[in-house]
Amino acid sequence: MSASAEPYLVIDNVLKRFGSGPEATVAVDHMSFDVKPGEFVSVIGPSGCGKSTLFNIIGGLLGDYEGEVRVGAERISGPHPSIGMVFQEESTFPWRSVIDNVAFPLELRGVPKAERHDRAHHFIDMVGLSGFAKHYPSQLSGGMKQRVSIARTLVSEPQILLMDEPFAALDEQTRLLLGDKILQIQQQLNQTTLLITHNLTEAVQLSDRIVVMTYRPGRLKRIVNIDLPRPRTSEVVGSDAFGHYVAEIWSDLREEASSGMMDAETTAARRNRPRG
Amino acid sequence: MAATGTVTARKAAWLDLDAVAAPSRAAVAGVRVAVACGIIGIWEALSASGLFFGDVVPSLAKIIPAMLGLLGQDVFWTNLQATAWETVAALAIGAVAGVACGITLGANEFLRKAYEPFLYYFSPTPRIILFPIMIMWFGIGIESKIALGALASFFPIALSTAAGMRGIERVLIRVGRSFRASGWQMATKIYLPAMRVPVLTGVRLGFGGGLITVLLAETKLSNKGLGYLVMQYYQRFDMATLYGLLIILFVLAGVSNALIGRWERAGR
Amino acid sequence: MAERTRLRDLAPITVGIASLAAIAVVAELLLLAGVLNRYILPLPSDVLVALVRLVREEDILSRMGLTAFEVLTSGFLVILAGVPLGVLLYRFRLMRAALEDWLGALAAAPIVLAFPLFLVLFGRGPKTIIIISFVYGLAPVVLKTQEGLTATRRVHVNVGRSLNMTPAQMFWKILFPSALPTIFTGIRLSWTFCLVTVVAVEFLVNLGGLGHLINELAERYDMPGAYAAITFVILLSMGFFIVLERIQSWLQPER
Repeated sequence: MSASAEPYLVIDNVLKRFGSGPEATVAVDHMSFDVKPGEFVSVIGPSGCGKSTLFNIIGGLLGDYEGEVRVGAERISGPHPSIGMVFQEESTFPWRSVIDNVAFPLELRGVPKAERHDRAHHFIDMVGLSGFAKHYPSQLSGGMKQRVSIARTLVSEPQILLMDEPFAALDEQTRLLLGDKILQIQQQLNQTTLLITHNLTEAVQLSDRIVVMTYRPGRLKRIVNIDLPRPRTSEVVGSDAFGHYVAEIWSDLREEASSGMMDAETTAARRNRPRG
Repeated sequence: MAATGTVTARKAAWLDLDAVAAPSRAAVAGVRVAVACGIIGIWEALSASGLFFGDVVPSLAKIIPAMLGLLGQDVFWTNLQATAWETVAALAIGAVAGVACGITLGANEFLRKAYEPFLYYFSPTPRIILFPIMIMWFGIGIESKIALGALASFFPIALSTAAGMRGIERVLIRVGRSFRASGWQMATKIYLPAMRVPVLTGVRLGFGGGLITVLLAETKLSNKGLGYLVMQYYQRFDMATLYGLLIILFVLAGVSNALIGRWERAGR
Repeated sequence: MAERTRLRDLAPITVGIASLAAIAVVAELLLLAGVLNRYILPLPSDVLVALVRLVREEDILSRMGLTAFEVLTSGFLVILAGVPLGVLLYRFRLMRAALEDWLGALAAAPIVLAFPLFLVLFGRGPKTIIIISFVYGLAPVVLKTQEGLTATRRVHVNVGRSLNMTPAQMFWKILFPSALPTIFTGIRLSWTFCLVTVVAVEFLVNLGGLGHLINELAERYDMPGAYAAITFVILLSMGFFIVLERIQSWLQPER
């Protein structure tokens, strides 16, 4: 992989329908944006706006879509080796120790044990889990498990790190601290990252640019540049500029989120007929 | 890494559970018919081959008439009645004792730690070997079968009740307390409804254990009951009727099990 | 601190064992006083003495060996046949949809009751007992293997897909390890069934091992002997179940 083959993720007019005929629903509607090398981009939108569908398309898990997702010049229609995915659900393997979890992608490639453990150790240290290599996931907290997943993805040195709400299940304080960790890693590796999230603070805290999506069908609402200085830490959440960005994006998002909420209420009302 | 071209997913569609449409009803029915025909075909082939001695593998043409003939005879119905009575009595005794014991163990942590391990590990032991003791205590009549059946159904019911009692969501109990429910109200409005499903699960398991134990005890030493009838046909070497009787028994056991299971699920 | 918690755990267990001993002592006293009938309940002390006699005169250890041989043979046959069948059932969804309920019904059916048939088909011998035990124990392993594979978490499969794993890698590195605890549970259930079936059939048809011994002693009206043998078999089975559980948790220290 030469240095000239610059990673450059392009989402070009992507459209995804589920079902066919008159019952088809459009989950992602003509989305276009891109991620430049070394950049941290977040996609934010209310629950149910098709963010996860977009994540699955970019990760190559949903091959059947219209438009193009390109890495370099390649159109993605299957998992691409230069994209590393981190999933929203807890995804460590409970039957493997931390080190064997992290070394897993290297094991698949047939890297000899000593070498893959060496490399895995490097990333375990990077996510701040030194000393836990021999532990099993059941002995770790939720935040630690998510860091194991991140290390497992980083170990294959993906050109693009693709994360789907990796901290959704964690409490706010842990989330902020893990945000610091991500900022640090991003700095250290100059890691091109695309984060899918519904969390405003998280998006502003971490991103260079934020892509705001509409609720159903998921369209591009607008792209906001976050001009907060780097290197950043979670302390940035106290600054005026931060508050300003959050307010700005919330005013965009509010309308979408409330229509999402109303939708959810109607569905619930329809589904939960009174019993008896 | 190639700069152009398309990266395609490996073909592993069978792993992708969502992507594979659920099999159609027609296909499922087709497979079932095919498997049933296959088994019957092999059976008839074995029967016709003469590989087995005498009438050991009788043709369905003999089994089915024998089975229908059995259903027309009083001997079947009186023995069914005996087994049914023994099983129901055993289940009743086992259920009352089991629920009482389960509630005691579920309510008291110390008692649970002291005695539940015995119940837990004793429960799956081969209870039929206690039959000689039951005969000494209760004689060779139906009492010894009821006693053994009760013993067999007691354990799963007690264990399941105790587990159900412990498994009640603590918050429901706190809700009850916050509304100042009385002890009786707590029992009837919170505990009992919340424990219905585990108790019924125990009853279903206890029924299965009780029935098989009663039947086995009847094969060992008795003068009535379907287990006794099984041994009669075995000793007379009336294989066709023996097969017929076993088929009826399996169906009866399956249907009763399914009925209790439905009652159990209705509680959810 | 650790010692105190250990003490707290030990206390109830001690009470449990002590109350069993107390029951035996009370029974002994009541029997000696003539309140209970010695022809119905032998003296617990006689039962203890009889246990020694069983080892010396009745060859209980070699009978135990025969029973163990029957249980283990059928148990390993169940694993050898059951796990692959479970994988097939998982792999072919149509088969699963069609046959899962039937297998469930088979698992719940009182197959042991068909022991006279097996005697006629395969003769009177350990082979027949092994076959009955195998048939009775098969369903749990098949069903649990299938259940474990089906319950593989979707996100684990997705991790595999995102890494472009081959189907073989997917099976050996994700599906199988993920299903393993459930498969072990199935094996434990099956082996429990196997032990119960072997002892029960030995008892019912007077064949071979420990079950046969109980029947013999009872028919000889050797009351202390019968009680001792029954106690021995029950303790042995309980030990067997405890060991199975220990093995299962030892095989998966991580969960």
